[in-house]
Amino acid sequence: MSLILRGSKRSWAYIWLGVITVISVFPFYWMVSSSLKTSKEIMALPPHWWATHPSLQAYSTVFHVVAFARAIGNSFVVTGTATLGILVTSIMAGYVFAKYRFRGKETLFTAVLATMMVPSFVTLVPLYYFFNRLNLIDNYAALILPNIGNAFGIFLMRQFIAGIPQELIEAARIDGASEWTVLWRVITPLLGPAIATLGLFAFVFQWNRFLWPLTVVNTPNMYTVVLALNSLESYTSSVKFANVVMAGAVVGILPSVLLFVWLQKYFIRGVAMTGIKG
Amino acid sequence: MKNRLADTRVFTGIYLGPGVGLIALFVVVPILLTAWVSFHSWNMLTPFATMPYVGLQNYRQIFGDPVFLAALRNTIVYSVASVAIELPLALLIGIFLFNTKARGSHWVRTALFLPYVIPNVAVAIVWGYLYSPIYGPFNIVLSWFHIPAQPWLGSVHEALMSLIILNLWQTVGYYTVIVIAGLTEIPQDYYEAASIDGATKWQATRHITLPLLRRAVTFIVIILTINSLQVFAPVYILTQGGPANSTNVVVYDMYRTAFNFLNMGQASAMVFVLFLVILVLAVVELRLLARAS
Repeated sequence: MSLILRGSKRSWAYIWLGVITVISVFPFYWMVSSSLKTSKEIMALPPHWWATHPSLQAYSTVFHVVAFARAIGNSFVVTGTATLGILVTSIMAGYVFAKYRFRGKETLFTAVLATMMVPSFVTLVPLYYFFNRLNLIDNYAALILPNIGNAFGIFLMRQFIAGIPQELIEAARIDGASEWTVLWRVITPLLGPAIATLGLFAFVFQWNRFLWPLTVVNTPNMYTVVLALNSLESYTSSVKFANVVMAGAVVGILPSVLLFVWLQKYFIRGVAMTGIKG
Repeated sequence: MKNRLADTRVFTGIYLGPGVGLIALFVVVPILLTAWVSFHSWNMLTPFATMPYVGLQNYRQIFGDPVFLAALRNTIVYSVASVAIELPLALLIGIFLFNTKARGSHWVRTALFLPYVIPNVAVAIVWGYLYSPIYGPFNIVLSWFHIPAQPWLGSVHEALMSLIILNLWQTVGYYTVIVIAGLTEIPQDYYEAASIDGATKWQATRHITLPLLRRAVTFIVIILTINSLQVFAPVYILTQGGPANSTNVVVYDMYRTAFNFLNMGQASAMVFVLFLVILVLAVVELRLLARAS
């Protein structure tokens, strides 16, 4: 009896796992299967549950309708530079907050943390004005520069660096290492997991940004992938082009999806750190 | 040794400068400027220094504007509903995934978290097609259960709900992972002691798990509130605030006021109203967090 009961309990667990998975995955499935449909099949009524004649036609179309290849390049330039910048500034500031002593340190650190709560829409109007006045609309600088100082990154690096034994730093100093050497030669090599965690978060966050790029980019040549998707959607709001839009979406989410599936343990750790140990 | 002290003093500046300086320049200063602009009449075409001071007029105007009031109400409904639905769901799924011995549950966790890392613009686009009344799969699934086709985003009554469901799908995995992280912090011997004392599973959940998750729960409530109050992309992409303003939200209204109507004063006032709401809620919730721990 108890064996049967346990068996049925186990199968309920599998049923729930199945339900959660189907709901999580279905929109992805629909995106991919629609992208593989021909422009004729996408109009079929009732819609087909899978592409009966899978074709890559939509993928070649999407690169012609908008400057999609250029947008991918822009996104990599912007996201890559911003991520690198965030890593460098966060490691430096995190080191000072973790290991240096100076008056007002705790206050300054609290102030930095407080800026984590400031949503990006709050700074939109003056920042737009600022970059407009500097003639930096449609410029990589406008997309990259405001993102490089990152409170979350500083917080994350401080937490990791605080865990590095002080003796290690003292030993290096006694050997005559400068502060520059201590940070980049002694501390940074120990930050592998922290760099992976922050790098991932920064990359995904920057890749996905919408409101700020929408505000400071006007010409299609400077579109990021997200802006290209947005323009694709407005060109083609009719169902006729659903396969093309979906193909764009598949390409647009691919870098984030691949990074996440490959390095998810760093992601999970970062989420856990912000939520619990914060 | 004296040399060393001078060295760290110099490097305090060098190392803090870029990170803290950029935050000051691109976050702190613009907040102050936004506050300043909200008391002025400004269309951004005239220089910043010459804009006329109008006192509280912008605030009076937005609070007399039915469109903004609708946007404020929709934003609050959207956020309250998101917290009310996502928090219990994240707890339920988190506790289930953490405890189940069924194989493959970590793959399920991956699948659940995945939507969180993709652009919400892409999510909005895909869900627009899922909701499509004729070509979308949702109405077909409903028809299997003999439920009539729904207008979803096309209806005054269903559009905001549709956006809430979309957001739920995209973010519940993130909050679930926070719940699971909280669960791993609970020492296993608490449960052993409880089961020796003859506590049922439900009693253990009620009296051990939930109280010890309070920190994680408070964090989730804060982040969920802050994030949902600034909803923008799905509205911009899918509904443009419609039908009949039923999905207009504060950030969308603000964006239009600023960049379509060039009314920077009113837009800044809108920003400040929402920012104040966020600040007050965050402080209240942080108080609760402090009391919980």
